Amino acid sequence: MSAIPAALATATTLGGAGALAGLGLPYRLRVPVVGLLTAGAGVAGAAAGVAALGGSRWATDLPGLLPLVGTHLAVDALAGVFMAVAGAVVVAVAVYGVGYAAGHGPHGLGSRTAQAMLPLFALTLVLVPAAASVSTFLVLWELMALVSLLLVLAEHRERASVRQAGVWYAVMTHLGLVLLLAAFALFAARAGGETFAALRAGAHTVSPTVRGLVFVLAGLAFTSKAGAVPLHAWLPRAHPEAPSPVSALMSTAMVNLGVYGLIRTGLDLLGGGPAWWWLGLIAVGGVSAVYGILQAAMASDLKRLLAYSTSENMGLVFIGVGACGLFTSYGDRPLAALALAAALLHVVNHAAFKALLFCAAGSVVRSTGLRDLDRLGGLRSRMPATAGLFALAALGAVALPPGNGFISEWLLLQSLIHGLQVPGVAVAVVLPLSVALIALSAGIAAAAFVKALGVGFFARPRSPRADGAREAPPLMIAGMGLLAAACVALALVPGLLGDALDRAVSAIGLPGSGALSGGGVRVRLTDISASLSPLWVVAALAVAIMAAVGLPRLYGRRRRRMNARLWDCGGGAPTPRMAYTATSFAEPLQRVFDDVLAPEQDLNVTPVRESAYLVERVRFERRVPDRIEHRLYEPVLRALAGTGRSARRLAGGSVHLYLGYGFVGLVVLLVALAVGW
Amino acid sequence: MGLLRRIRETGRAAEPAPPRPEGDVPEKARELGGSVQVRCVDAGSCNGCEIEIAAAFNPVYDAERYGARQVASPRHADVALVTGPVTRNMAEPLRRTVAAMGEPRLVVAVGDCAINCGEFAGGHGVEGAVADVVPVDLTVPGCPPEPDAIVAALRRVTGR
Ligand code: SF4
Repeated sequence: MSAIPAALATATTLGGAGALAGLGLPYRLRVPVVGLLTAGAGVAGAAAGVAALGGSRWATDLPGLLPLVGTHLAVDALAGVFMAVAGAVVVAVAVYGVGYAAGHGPHGLGSRTAQAMLPLFALTLVLVPAAASVSTFLVLWELMALVSLLLVLAEHRERASVRQAGVWYAVMTHLGLVLLLAAFALFAARAGGETFAALRAGAHTVSPTVRGLVFVLAGLAFTSKAGAVPLHAWLPRAHPEAPSPVSALMSTAMVNLGVYGLIRTGLDLLGGGPAWWWLGLIAVGGVSAVYGILQAAMASDLKRLLAYSTSENMGLVFIGVGACGLFTSYGDRPLAALALAAALLHVVNHAAFKALLFCAAGSVVRSTGLRDLDRLGGLRSRMPATAGLFALAALGAVALPPGNGFISEWLLLQSLIHGLQVPGVAVAVVLPLSVALIALSAGIAAAAFVKALGVGFFARPRSPRADGAREAPPLMIAGMGLLAAACVALALVPGLLGDALDRAVSAIGLPGSGALSGGGVRVRLTDISASLSPLWVVAALAVAIMAAVGLPRLYGRRRRRMNARLWDCGGGAPTPRMAYTATSFAEPLQRVFDDVLAPEQDLNVTPVRESAYLVERVRFERRVPDRIEHRLYEPVLRALAGTGRSARRLAGGSVHLYLGYGFVGLVVLLVALAVGW
Repeated sequence: MGLLRRIRETGRAAEPAPPRPEGDVPEKARELGGSVQVRCVDAGSCNGCEIEIAAAFNPVYDAERYGARQVASPRHADVALVTGPVTRNMAEPLRRTVAAMGEPRLVVAVGDCAINCGEFAGGHGVEGAVADVVPVDLTVPGCPPEPDAIVAALRRVTGR
């Protein structure tokens, strides 16, 4: 008897109860009770995921639950990865969310709607991977989108920009849904059934063109959900504007489901495909990785920076998934398994550090009301715990040892580099290129997070609000502590996940890679004889740092020390305005990538009235617009607006005209039926 | 090749090192071991002294061959070479500059203005001589002092 159904039933019950509690309870009780129930749902969801990763499978049909088609649920190890990650993030974020919403009053995240939606959102995040038919999947998918939309809008009273972000999010997510509907409708019609089992069985009877079309449509929808270019525009808008616990959930568990959908559809249901699918996916991943992190490095809004970094990490994951599909299509299955395992491990790692980053950013926003790095600073001494946790997560995000992101990127690079033994011109061109793109994105990521940490948390406060920052309440720190523990565990003993990842990879018919074998301490790649011991790397680094810090202290103690004031060139003491800001830190990088970013700047010099040589005021403005958005979206939006304006003329206000339309429509329909059938 | 021959034929262009200047090495300077980093501070001079200091470090007088070297920050410096009467605006920066130097540190007042306000004594923006603002260890009289004199003072510090 598997533990999965019991755990999922518990999660559903607790999530539902949480939603009711959010609606019914008064403000004082609402936040803690909802937090507790949500955390419970998270624990249950994570338990179901872990059970699935432990090797148990479960499937059931509930015919009465959805009209006409019924509900189909199934959990395998692949779903288990995403379920476990979602559940774990939900637990930490729920604990954090109680502290976050408690001080905010009955608006924002503490409001009735938001508190009712939060457990539902958590529940859908856990349940989406369990769906085993098209209709079940789409219903849960849409429910997740709607609930998260309501949560994004939670703080609409505080900032007008929230509404605009909500509109963007609503439109783009439904664009994704339409694409998904089209893809699955086509697929189900050709494969002769709408359950995943039927699709899997019927996939090989579908013609290659249709399969390609299904993959492209579904791929667009899923990469859009994951925030990959070109359909990423909602992400840097909606994630920063949502309340931080919601951002943390969206930027980890929800974008992960885009990856899940793509793996499930492309590799499992369609059963893999020709090389061009996967080359396309690698291209999307590579562009997202570099473009996303470049925008992150330019951003001076802390949460926007993190949102763009999500784009980057999802890009890396898509490179891994694409490489997996590519190797499968060339028949190198062990290497494909390794690439997929690397991608999945990066999903897990990214969830851990990004949730922590968003939570830490949330406590900064909660305490100072600021997201603008240019006006923050000096938080290290004012919020030491938050700063430390942010630093820990940033270490994971820059993909350098001893951070947790390093291990998955290392695995990914290993699989790509060894992929060169696969024959084919496209492979020989694409793999080295993607290795270069990954390296470039890792380098820029280092700059972006040095900026976020150095400018945001160190130095001196650059505004009174940053000066008055206070440490976050204990519950928020506890929630972040859970995530931090996960980050540290993933960095030190990723090998513990080895068997689980193997099962997840074999769930879609690839042989287990054995990528993370060796009892947790060591990461050994059996097929390509490479190994890495994160624990030793960390130990060596720790010893080196201790030596570098400790020896001068020991040696220096014998000498007389004296304190001197900071050397300020003899002038006055330096003011915070002289410190590096996020914008000035990013400026050199922006110059390097001038052609890609195309920044716009305005310089307005106003002379005094008496003389053209004496300047009264200088106004300088610089923006780094999202260029893809600029080029791709604006023409479409303009065309849509133009069509709308001209279509307005059709509705002239005359009843005769409208009756005429009805008549013409009917006639056309009848003629079509008469001629066509 | 021609250039190399030229160099060989020309030999040393710097003036031969004059004999060691009179006077003992100041107590504090002994610790420096003959290598002295110099930071110049213009506390309000007419720039005449600066021109001579520049000359003292040129290839002809070449103070560097005696172990004195100019640096850009008082944090790196052992000696402050102060010129000019100390003006009101420069009094505090001068104090801070000297305070920013590591121990042991020396202050050399270069030029008559630095010693006793010289030409500018009694001026409305003048705070006083260098010795009124920071303790002075050596003086180099002259208006402006010759590069030789400046080099001689620096040699007393380096002891070479
Ligand atoms: S001593 Fe003479 S040369 Fe030097 S600053 Fe004074 S006036 Fe100028």
